[in-house]
Amino acid sequence: MRNRAAAGQRHAIALPLLSCVFLGCTGSVRAQDASSWKDIETKYIFGFTTGSGIGLEGEKEFTVDSIGRFGKRDGHYAATETKYEFEFTPTQFIQIEFGALGSTHNIGGVTGLDDRSQVALSGAFAEFRYLAIERTSNNPLAVTLAVEPTVRRIDETSGERVRNFEFETTVNADLELMKNRLFAGFNLLYEPEVTQTATGYTQREATVGGSAALSLRVASNVVLGGEVWYLRHYDAANLTSFTGDAVMLGPTLYVQFTPKMFMTAAWNAQVWGREVGNLVSLNLAEFQRHRARLKFAWEF
Amino acid sequence: MSAVLMMKRLTLAALCAVAMLQVSPSRAQQATEVQVTYSKGQFQPSEVTAPADKPITFRVKNLDPKAMEFESKSLRVEKVVAAGSEGVINVRALKPGRYEFYDDFNEKARGALIVQ
Repeated sequence: MRNRAAAGQRHAIALPLLSCVFLGCTGSVRAQDASSWKDIETKYIFGFTTGSGIGLEGEKEFTVDSIGRFGKRDGHYAATETKYEFEFTPTQFIQIEFGALGSTHNIGGVTGLDDRSQVALSGAFAEFRYLAIERTSNNPLAVTLAVEPTVRRIDETSGERVRNFEFETTVNADLELMKNRLFAGFNLLYEPEVTQTATGYTQREATVGGSAALSLRVASNVVLGGEVWYLRHYDAANLTSFTGDAVMLGPTLYVQFTPKMFMTAAWNAQVWGREVGNLVSLNLAEFQRHRARLKFAWEF
Repeated sequence: MSAVLMMKRLTLAALCAVAMLQVSPSRAQQATEVQVTYSKGQFQPSEVTAPADKPITFRVKNLDPKAMEFESKSLRVEKVVAAGSEGVINVRALKPGRYEFYDDFNEKARGALIVQ
């Protein structure tokens, strides 16, 4: 009950904060002339939600993309996974990315997880993005389809040595609501994975979900916004064994430092969740209390 | 079928799908050529037109004594054109609309392609 109240309190704080960000920014935006701004690449302006952008033909980019997950039901829990990523756009419709994964785990006193403090090179990934619907001055909608196979030797949640194969499939859509100023982003996610532990046990699972985000360009190089994610977890790739779901909510920030260098930051808090067979608030078995993202990119 | 094998097959299928999508029929069509000159930090003409649904070849002649970067988010192209030289940029067949381009090294240099 106390957890439910706390979650509600967080929700109550987060919503007005987001509203203030939007309302506070509207005034300064009115004062600026967005028509003189260059078009913006939408891929990274929505936080954890990915926009439809695929870059420019011939463009290459190196990025460091860290995602941190914090807080379980008890004890202390902090885990990060960082992508060291090279991406390039070979055609005007396709983007390819690949790279290595590094992870950190700092876990103590969490039920069901071994205590651990470690840093490791944890795996590798590749991503293929195809722009299916492109935005024009007459069509504000753009849609990109993406697949991202990933292999890990370190479990994302527990930090244990495993063999994990994941195949993330996403639909990334965005709408330009006001020319050069206001954008809405939407993602659909299906992420099946199989994990083989050191003891030979094989676990199959899948996460499905969707997100909605709203981002306002408050200056030519700064975008502020908020996003909400709904995620469902299954103990089967074919979605037959539902184990719980969660709603994550939080603000997003994008800053372009130079024409070739930018950063994006986002923070999500779990504001609602449930675990099947466990009458507690929030789903902290499959998800976390908070997650944060910090990404820096250099184009060349 | 083991789960690992299934994942490998899914990855292979996705790669094949991406490769097939990459084959664009527009490559076979005759491209419309658009000539733009870059001089004194400005595009001339600053507005050019091209027909819809046909690929476009931009020929950008840089007459300035320093390099410029022809770039456009909506056209999804970028190319550095050295001082005193010409850059050729191929663009896919486009739908009707306005597509802005600029020099990424010079905020003030703007132009637009009107596709109709």
